Amino acid sequence: MEIIRTELVDKIYSDNGVPVHAVDCVSLTIQRGDFLAIAGPSGSGKTTLLNMIGALDTPTSGSVFLEGEDLAAKQRSALASFRLHTIGFIFQAYNLIPVLTALENIEFKMMLLNVPEKTRREQARNVMRELGIEELAGKRPNEMSGGQQQRVAIARAIINNPPIVLADEPTANLDSVTAHNLIDLMVTMNREKGITFVFSSHDAQVLQHARRVVYLHDGQIESDTVK
Amino acid sequence: MLLKLAWRNIWRNKRRSVIVLTAIVVGMVLLLLTESYMAGMLKQMLEDQIGSHVAHVQIHKKGFNDNKIVQNSITDISSVEGSLGRNSAIAAFSRRVQTYGIASSASNSSGVLMIGVDAQQESRITKIRSWVQEGEYLSGKDREIVIGRALAERLGVTLGDKIVLMATALDGQVGSDVFRIVGLYAGSSSDFDKAFVYVPIRNAQRVLAMGDRVSEFVLLAANIARVPQLSKDLAAVVGEEYEVTNYKEVLPALMAIIEVADKSMGIYYFIIGVATIFGIINTLLMSVFERIREFGVLMAMGMKNGTVFAMIMLEALILGVVGTIIGLIVGFAVYLPYWHYGLNLSAFAEGLSWIGASTIVYPLLTSEALVRIVLIIPFISVLAALYPATKAIRLVPVRAIYYV
Repeated sequence: MEIIRTELVDKIYSDNGVPVHAVDCVSLTIQRGDFLAIAGPSGSGKTTLLNMIGALDTPTSGSVFLEGEDLAAKQRSALASFRLHTIGFIFQAYNLIPVLTALENIEFKMMLLNVPEKTRREQARNVMRELGIEELAGKRPNEMSGGQQQRVAIARAIINNPPIVLADEPTANLDSVTAHNLIDLMVTMNREKGITFVFSSHDAQVLQHARRVVYLHDGQIESDTVK
Repeated sequence: MLLKLAWRNIWRNKRRSVIVLTAIVVGMVLLLLTESYMAGMLKQMLEDQIGSHVAHVQIHKKGFNDNKIVQNSITDISSVEGSLGRNSAIAAFSRRVQTYGIASSASNSSGVLMIGVDAQQESRITKIRSWVQEGEYLSGKDREIVIGRALAERLGVTLGDKIVLMATALDGQVGSDVFRIVGLYAGSSSDFDKAFVYVPIRNAQRVLAMGDRVSEFVLLAANIARVPQLSKDLAAVVGEEYEVTNYKEVLPALMAIIEVADKSMGIYYFIIGVATIFGIINTLLMSVFERIREFGVLMAMGMKNGTVFAMIMLEALILGVVGTIIGLIVGFAVYLPYWHYGLNLSAFAEGLSWIGASTIVYPLLTSEALVRIVLIIPFISVLAALYPATKAIRLVPVRAIYYV
């Protein structure tokens, strides 16, 4: 069943007056439960496409549909609400809130969802237990390693069981062992919870684990391989 | 949790936050001390004027205020007294004879204002009894006189000495009598002390050949706030042959000073407010710019503009409230000793006496002033946060996340 669909999506930036096609006429359909990687060299448009799928950026032309909803029809506030309920984000630079502990970072999203404190705290601890990071609960980001921070970021992304998780180069700042462990974790989430994972990555380990790889070159889909 | 986040965000850069808090505290302390000093000084000045001679309301024969001669005196004493006695808004009243004259000793003479009083009634109106520093207040015996120390020095006399009072009587002749000094007082101003002398009312009436006539009735209201209304009510009762004036009309210069002081407090608030507001704007703007990526991530997660806006406003409000609390603690620590012991300004005695202010000022923090001071800084803080908060919500999430 389709969860994400892009139709002839373009994204054109202006670079000193010169138009740059970051994404060029991309039509893509992603099924629920997919574990998909968008690959390609730097500047191929991976992150730009991911941002448009994640309702963070708007296409210059074309449409993006998430769970059947046309994102172009939504106002800024509605998009924010949509992202909150539907999408979990994992970033290359972890992007945890530095003044909050790991537990508080994870439960922050539930706070935005107006979940009562006791419930969200319990849920956060459950997720931390699942991911094996309970001991990090009281630590702040500057007291954790990169791998630990990224695990916390994953926990934050999935705490409200969103149907989609978008990960932009999640392993880029990690060593290979840590990266491998994290990918395994996300594979488990995908298998057990049915969360659709869409990565933008050029990490071989990620591409290896992905069940589908969409290869971008100069903003266009060069290949779309299902394993 | 938003409150927790806002609190922690403030302390990300401790030095910056401490600096802005210090500025707020200094501003608060200045406001508190300026307000209380001004209010205390003006209250004292007003109370001194009311308590030394003016009282709350004065009743004269029509024309007296334009020409303070003995001929413009009240003849129908019982009628006026009856009207005053029936009014429950009056706490106390007294009758007086007053005229300008000359006091002479063996060595010198000086122009004075002779006040003939009923000692017992008068002591319920004015503070002269409490100002007597040597001897005693009028006891009601014949030919007693109480004068100011400054006048005693000028005339070269002291307690127990005799002086002669002379003034133009009702019949146009010069009236005079000899009085024995029974008390020396020191009031709020040496000019007052040099001018006002107090004798039993019947002695004054005799010197001035007035019979039972009096120059004025003065009274204290039970509630000072009701004085203007009381003044109007009495004017209606006593009739058109009398003029009824309240202290605000008798002391226009002092009332003008009070009004100017009030308005100038507004200027102080403005100056301190402007200084504080720019400090907070600067702090919050820097804080917002340092967190652009973080705001991008929060918005990406689904935090709405309203929540981002509220978070920054909350940070400003916390700064304002914490600064206010510390400012109040420090301000009260400075204010309370002065409130108790007074602020000695004898170095400025000459200038202060010129405006009728005493040299020891007791600052007074009114509840209205306290409410103003407590609310102004948090209000300014929130106002200061509007611009930084607006900058934050105008961020485009996708650009903010990748901001370098």
